[in-house]
Amino acid sequence: MTREEIIAEINAELAEEFEIDEATITPDAPIYQTLELDSLSLVDLIGIVQTKYGVLISKTELPNIKTFAQLYDYIEQHQK
Amino acid sequence: MHDVLIIGSGLGGLECGALLAQRGLRVLVLEGSNQPGGCMQSFRRGGLHYDTGLHYVGGLASGQAMHKAFAQLGLMDLPWQRMDEDFDHVIIGGRHFAFHQGYEAFVEGLAKDFPHQREALQSFVQRLQNITAEDMDVCAYDYLCQTFSDELLLNVVSAAAMKTELRRESLPLFNFAHTCSSYIESSWRLRGDGNLLVNKLIDTIKEAGGEVRTNSRVVRLTEDDGRITKAICADGTTYEAGYFISDIHPAVLCQLLEECPSVRKAFRRRMTSGENTCGMFTAQLSIKPDTLRYFGHNVFVYDKPNVWTMTEENDPVKGVMISARVPEDESETLRQIDLLTPMPWYECQAWTETKVGHRGEDYKDLCQRKTEQCITLAEQYIPDLRSKIETCYTSTPLTYRDYLGSPEGGAFGLRKDCRASMLSFHSVNTPLPNLLLTGQSVILPGIEGVTMTAFETCNKIIQDNAR
Repeated sequence: MTREEIIAEINAELAEEFEIDEATITPDAPIYQTLELDSLSLVDLIGIVQTKYGVLISKTELPNIKTFAQLYDYIEQHQK
Repeated sequence: MHDVLIIGSGLGGLECGALLAQRGLRVLVLEGSNQPGGCMQSFRRGGLHYDTGLHYVGGLASGQAMHKAFAQLGLMDLPWQRMDEDFDHVIIGGRHFAFHQGYEAFVEGLAKDFPHQREALQSFVQRLQNITAEDMDVCAYDYLCQTFSDELLLNVVSAAAMKTELRRESLPLFNFAHTCSSYIESSWRLRGDGNLLVNKLIDTIKEAGGEVRTNSRVVRLTEDDGRITKAICADGTTYEAGYFISDIHPAVLCQLLEECPSVRKAFRRRMTSGENTCGMFTAQLSIKPDTLRYFGHNVFVYDKPNVWTMTEENDPVKGVMISARVPEDESETLRQIDLLTPMPWYECQAWTETKVGHRGEDYKDLCQRKTEQCITLAEQYIPDLRSKIETCYTSTPLTYRDYLGSPEGGAFGLRKDCRASMLSFHSVNTPLPNLLLTGQSVILPGIEGVTMTAFETCNKIIQDNAR
């Protein structure tokens, strides 16, 4: 999957699953605020990425993913 | 208006009810079926009581893991009977081994058969006593392979863990250890049926002013301003409460939350996409009077050292647990034993659309065949068991599904996966601050796991109330 394909797919998926306007998802937007994540729904985000791409975001790397661009990077680097 | 409404009266639901009622909260427990207790309930046939899921409990001696919890719940008043010092026997490929109560005795007992693995056994029991949440990420099978160089011993120490689903690739060490350690501390059987435990908890709830209602299936929860406000039952009755606790399978709970705007699709997806553990096949035998002496230990019989692969394909039956019921009349002979073996859901596929008592001849043949295979294995320990049997009742994952509402008849709730612990171990919290989870799917299955979780669930409410 190309980066563009990942971005299009994950943005649509996150907007649908977290019930937000897809237009609010931009590369530099903060993930936590945009998706209205708390410690519980953060796990839902990890679940979506794992189900969709087979990519499990590890506990140690989680704090490094703050923006959508960083999420795209992570998926692109770890996808199987 | 109640302070706390609990959906489901399994062990976790009733324990939460008792703990919160003791704290002075007005508790209402709603059970969908006509009998409370979930996996702890028992049923009566031919003058004998048969249990559904209660076989033995670990760590009830003073100062041990479960004693304090059961004492607080009033359950130490029940007639617990300590099992034999050699509480679990394991037979693999005709060789006989025993687990002894107490960590030192456990090591010494097995070191007699495996003297070259003494240090490994010591390291194993050390680890069992020092399990932390980090062990949710550790693969139990990998850990055992690294610890024991003798494959037979690896199978022996795992053989009694039929209290969980042994899966090589996914079972976390956290779960494996919890199904071993408290039983090694001390093992106990109840003199009487599981309803003693169920009724004791219900009595505690009622004495504190709470209520348990059966035939009250909740079909919908309604949300107002970010909190659950009402539970609506199938007959239209509506109950209001300050807190709601779900003691039902998380996927079933999600069906009740369809009209709650605070529960986003992402949460529903995670709760409904988890895999269920395997179920169990049980042959419950009544034994002709005065033909079989009571034995105060469990026996786990396997044809081969394939303990960890058995749940993947268990047809024909490859291993069986023999659990004897304590004679209630203090007789030296027993009247009932249970034979249990894992049974994956795919073996039930042909009958998923059927109901109890109407599954047809093919199903009866399957149960008959499995029973025969279980008895054949059990006869390695009880010679000529067949001739001593008076009657036999069987249950499969379909029975669990239909009586207990457990999706796919899973005996241990949702599967936990060490490769994705964050996704498979759940918080007791939900997106709604006054809706909490309890029961075997949340953190750990089994009596110990469910009890630990009930305390965690109640602590959230107690802490909230203290603010």
